[in-house]
Amino acid sequence: MYRNAIFMCERLCAEFPSETNLQLLASCYLQNNQSHCAYYILKGTHMAQCRYLFALSCFQMDLLNEAEAALRPPNESSAEVPNGAAGHYLLGLIYRYTDRRQNAIHHFNQALSMDPLLWAAYEELCILGAAEEATSVFSEGASLCIEKQYMHDELSSKSSQASSDDHIVVPNRSLGVEDVSPRQLKDMHGYDVRDISRNYHGAASNQPLNGGPATFSFYNTPSPMATQSQLSGVAPPPICRNAQLNGPNLRAFGADSSPRSVVNSAVPGPRRKFVDEGKLRKVSERLFSDSRQRRSMRLGGESLVNTNSSASVASGNGTNHSSKYLGGPKSSSVVSRSVTIRKGQSWASENSDEGAHYDIYDDSRLDITTSSSSPRGDARSLEQEGAARPSGPVVVSGSRVAAGASEILGLLMILGEGYRLSCLYRCQDALDTYIKLPKKHYNTGWVLSQVGKAYFEMVDYMEADSAFSLARLASPYSLEGMDIHSTVLYHLKEDMKLSYLAQELISTDRLAPQSWCAMGNCYSLQKDHETALKNFQRAVQLNSRFAYAHTLCGHEYVALEDFENGIKSYRSALQIDSRHYNAWHGLGMVYLRQEKFEFSEHHFRLAFQINPRSSVIMSYLGTALHTLKKNKEALEMMERAILADKKNPLPLYQKANILVSVENFEGALAVLEELKEFAPRESSIYALMGRIYKRCNMYDKAMLHFGLALDLKPSATDVAVIKAAIEKLHVPDELEDEDAL
Amino acid sequence: MAESSEGEEEGNLTGGNQHLVVDDDLREMAKKAAWSVSSCKPGNGVLSLRDDNLDTYWQSDGAQPHVVNIQFQKKVKLQLVVLYVDFKLDESYTPSKISIRAGDGFHNLKEIKAVELVKPTGWVYISLSGSDPRETFVNTFMLQIDVLSNHLNGRDTHVRQVKVYGLRLNPMPRQPFQFTSTELITYSTVR
Repeated sequence: MYRNAIFMCERLCAEFPSETNLQLLASCYLQNNQSHCAYYILKGTHMAQCRYLFALSCFQMDLLNEAEAALRPPNESSAEVPNGAAGHYLLGLIYRYTDRRQNAIHHFNQALSMDPLLWAAYEELCILGAAEEATSVFSEGASLCIEKQYMHDELSSKSSQASSDDHIVVPNRSLGVEDVSPRQLKDMHGYDVRDISRNYHGAASNQPLNGGPATFSFYNTPSPMATQSQLSGVAPPPICRNAQLNGPNLRAFGADSSPRSVVNSAVPGPRRKFVDEGKLRKVSERLFSDSRQRRSMRLGGESLVNTNSSASVASGNGTNHSSKYLGGPKSSSVVSRSVTIRKGQSWASENSDEGAHYDIYDDSRLDITTSSSSPRGDARSLEQEGAARPSGPVVVSGSRVAAGASEILGLLMILGEGYRLSCLYRCQDALDTYIKLPKKHYNTGWVLSQVGKAYFEMVDYMEADSAFSLARLASPYSLEGMDIHSTVLYHLKEDMKLSYLAQELISTDRLAPQSWCAMGNCYSLQKDHETALKNFQRAVQLNSRFAYAHTLCGHEYVALEDFENGIKSYRSALQIDSRHYNAWHGLGMVYLRQEKFEFSEHHFRLAFQINPRSSVIMSYLGTALHTLKKNKEALEMMERAILADKKNPLPLYQKANILVSVENFEGALAVLEELKEFAPRESSIYALMGRIYKRCNMYDKAMLHFGLALDLKPSATDVAVIKAAIEKLHVPDELEDEDAL
Repeated sequence: MAESSEGEEEGNLTGGNQHLVVDDDLREMAKKAAWSVSSCKPGNGVLSLRDDNLDTYWQSDGAQPHVVNIQFQKKVKLQLVVLYVDFKLDESYTPSKISIRAGDGFHNLKEIKAVELVKPTGWVYISLSGSDPRETFVNTFMLQIDVLSNHLNGRDTHVRQVKVYGLRLNPMPRQPFQFTSTELITYSTVR
């Protein structure tokens, strides 16, 4: 359908070149993933919405400087960021990717304050490590804010209705209002082609379309049914949205007065059509008596003839009702989207109600300021009391808004808190928070993969695996967090499961970086590092802002002993996300190998500061301290690691190593005996014990243990080392040259 | 894995050696090395030794011994050399006596291994470990494979592929022994 839309828009722009038309064309291109086209058209435009779209296309093309300049022109420091919350969100992303953390945080906070339901902004704040507690963000205050915005929309729509040409600049409302037409682009899928072309014809000949990018605007786009209601309730296809902030719009609007008559004739057509198709319309028809219905339509038609802009505004009303205050983030957020649609359905019926009511009031210049709370459902009384302002429905709906808003906010509060805690790596707290969710929300893909991630950070791979498997069952199409799942399987050395996962992911979505990460992990597990590297590089190509792919590339480079490129990859990962502790850890490992012990300790410490829960990081930090000869601290760190995770045998082994090097042989032996419980078939334990016995000159025991170690099939080098040790059993250690210890 | 050790040679080619099978803890080390040969016929140069294509071969074009030199950027621990040679296809071009030398450069190469092949048809594994069980690998800057004589006293030689294997990196640095059991390996790294 986008091809049709683009074609029509191009004709429109040729016919009536203006910024608003360009904006529509650009939004068509953006919907069709042709951001470079949008970029070229919108270069140099000044309207707020155009600048926003331009910034968006620059962002998608990775031209962050231009995007920033568009959103925040350098010479106008006090200019308002276009498109409200979404604009702030985009600006925040730009700052984040250009390393200006403070600015990014500021803008994300702004976005959240303007639209408390912008979950994506909260997510970004969590990733940056600067989010406030979810309870304060998604609080009562937020609920009131949403309610106020909703009410404001109502009021402003009334006022602009009353005053014909005088558009009241209302940012919120206009933003809400813009959704519709591009939304129609999207929602038209199910419609008749004729409808759309007629719709567009109406649009084309009508005033320029101001439909901003639906998905990018402040409020989430109204659900299809709601769109229906507006269309049906309103005279021209609600495309004549001119509630933009700028003057040029009005002028453009005025200039196009001639085609309007064409529109009028075109109007009944689409309206009728939509009346047929709108399921919601049928619902609303049931709610109203027929006479009322026809009357509202007739009135709508009349109002169209009489008042040019107010008619559009009337449609705006309808839009506003339907434009849910469930301002969601980009449509990628599953949770809010489902919530939106749910609310949309429950609200749609009321909206058509109100739409009809407002049509009635089109003619009568109503005084906006009344706030009488006349009861709602009584349409007849409203009709009679022409002067009574329909604040009744508003108020009633207002309280329902409040109820809905607070319900959503309650949910978001739990989710937000959980996410924030898991980004701070307070994994147990995060898990406790997620448990508080109602069952139906807990058992969704997103939440379960967050749970899996939390277990992963705590190095509890078994639990992580089960959580991720449940997530796969809940939403087999979702790739969120599956890269971590593949890493979990890698750690557990489950090559069957891992290759199965990788195959599934690739067949689900070949263009997602997570699938290639999983594939790469699969090859890496089989020690085929070159192929693994290729896969990870593919993942990087697909999405260069996916930090984990870079880290995995780094791991593979290191396995191939290419330390330079390894360091480069880790650094790129850190550039994208400086709290990515895996990359810090990777750098620490590289420096450990290169024997740059100070650097290595520094990096391990950074990783530890970010994720203080991982016992593996702790034990590596201990090892690094040991290499710096800070044995006391090293031992302390090992103790912490042992305490942190009872199931992890690594710190015990490292502790034994350290004890051997400080010549505390009894201690070391004790630890190794304990370790034998954990891993009875681990050859390195016996080898180390053998070595200790040799140092203690207990040759029989040493011989016994070396023999045991050999039986347990160590690696080839170790075989050599052990055999050599056996041969030289009676030679004092100083005469041997030991190479690795 | 076919052993070709000193003395009487059996380039011992059972069907299994049609496929290259190498231990997991070894990896091919010579991708970044500099390869050169003592002489070659145009079109059958050194690239054919490394192109993973068993149909292309290196053909020498000079006096014996024919030599393949492999120079690394840093000292590497090598354990295994694998050649693909085929008597059925190459007959008198098939190498028969091979000597492997190692050292820091051309000036101080020392022979570490000598083998004689008898009608080989496939991958021939030449282990570089010394007789001492401690020396499973040779730590060197340069490796040289000398073809001293061919089957049926042929003058020039054909070699189809050469691969050099060495130790993998220890996944855990600064460890005296590598881990073998899953319990420890699972927790041994942060990925």
